[in-house]
Amino acid sequence: MIELYHAEPNVSYLKPLIALKEKNADFQAHYFDPTKFEQFGPNFPRNMESDLQLEREGPVLVDGSEVISSSFFMLEYIADAIEGPDLNPGDAFNHYQARAWGQFLGLSLGPIVGALGCAKYLAPALKTRDQDELKAAIARIEPVERRNAWMAVIDGSFTKESEKAAIERSKFPVKRVDGWLGGNPWMTGPAYSISDIDTFALMAPLADLAPEVVNATATPNLVAFLKKMRDREAVQAALAMSKTGKPQEFYVPGAEPSRWG
Amino acid sequence: MLQLYHWEPNANSGKPMLTLAEKGVPYESHYLDLLKMDQHKPDYLKVNPDGTIPAMVDGDRVLTESTPMMEYVDEKFDGPPLRPEDPKERWRMRWWMRYFDSYFAPSVSMIGWNMFVGPSARTRDPEEMKAAIEKIPLESRRVAWRKALFNEFTEDELAESRRRTIFSIGILEQHLTHHPFIAGNSYSLGDINGFNLAYALPFSQPDHCNDDKTPKIMAWLRMIYARPATKETWAKGRTELASRLTKLEPKK
Repeated sequence: MIELYHAEPNVSYLKPLIALKEKNADFQAHYFDPTKFEQFGPNFPRNMESDLQLEREGPVLVDGSEVISSSFFMLEYIADAIEGPDLNPGDAFNHYQARAWGQFLGLSLGPIVGALGCAKYLAPALKTRDQDELKAAIARIEPVERRNAWMAVIDGSFTKESEKAAIERSKFPVKRVDGWLGGNPWMTGPAYSISDIDTFALMAPLADLAPEVVNATATPNLVAFLKKMRDREAVQAALAMSKTGKPQEFYVPGAEPSRWG
Repeated sequence: MLQLYHWEPNANSGKPMLTLAEKGVPYESHYLDLLKMDQHKPDYLKVNPDGTIPAMVDGDRVLTESTPMMEYVDEKFDGPPLRPEDPKERWRMRWWMRYFDSYFAPSVSMIGWNMFVGPSARTRDPEEMKAAIEKIPLESRRVAWRKALFNEFTEDELAESRRRTIFSIGILEQHLTHHPFIAGNSYSLGDINGFNLAYALPFSQPDHCNDDKTPKIMAWLRMIYARPATKETWAKGRTELASRLTKLEPKK
């Protein structure tokens, strides 16, 4: 049986849960707390790819001896490998669209959602911890990019100016998705797919983190899409995997912004 | 006929070029000179309003993301399969292509622009370059082009790119020690993607990528270099970039 290691169902942790629920898959769920660094523990499934994954923190799916990481490619894996409703329908161009959206949103929005969510929820929560213990735990993290991402949450380097800039950068991908959804029911055209799961997981947080960008007036198509997604049984079942009752407040450091600007 | 708008067989442009050659798919080639910013000129913006290359036009469909474009070519057209059947190997292929695209390549590229491409591009009139940059549609690309053309990389950024490049060479060597190909047991889009990034490493990073330190990478590069599709694709190169491939010639 496949096993999914996940935290609160939000952003990257939400994606495979929705996909597995859509597939009605039989899977073993392992809930873990990445803010307590359980993903670096000796019994946590790891491989080179999960250590180096560019989302930095996220779910892992174990299928036999393979440890699958990186949430969009995990969605593709679930679509490819697990029986059930087709989550990657259509022709080669629809599949291209799903991958192109996944790449675009992952690179443009992934870093923004992680940074804004950590600033609003994770940073205040970490301040209540013993700072010496916290810093010592972070200092042990490898690779250095993951360590630095955690350190950035607690060192105050994410300022009000950074927040303003991140919100400004979110406008371009949000506008592009809202425009697309004005003429298409789903992200790859006529049928529901992994691209909708991916988009929902990345966009839904912005209604809370950047309400001036995502709201019924500025982005009516996106807001209607988010509601349509929340009405799906699989999405509700995935969100019900929360143990805190507040999955929308759970964030971990995510992908880094492009180093080219 | 399929239309491909591309620059040199290198990096993003080289990915669909080599994929199409491996599949044996004929296409009409539209060469755009990246350094002359042909991709930001009005004629091309009608094809791809974002002004990025490559772009592929298949009937009324336009594709502008190079890595998803490779998968499209493999799925749409007849020819030897370039994606593994096994979903686990497919996942590994995709994971590595993202690692190449978003971690390894940006670092290699920053060093390349700083040392090789940028100085050559800066022989042009600065005012003309500034005006050309202002015409770039995407803000993120304007920022990147300013950095590249006016050498606005900080020492810290360059040092980090050097660190990441050397680190990634080590990771790739380690990976190829356990797997003959990027995805696992068969030649795939992952190898095509990786080759477009790594073929010049023996030239640009001779101290870190060579027969003594990275024998697996060198054997992998030579294996891909020997493929007829690779020779055919790099023969389309018009600049000295393509000549870097000669470092992979078998030792006499």
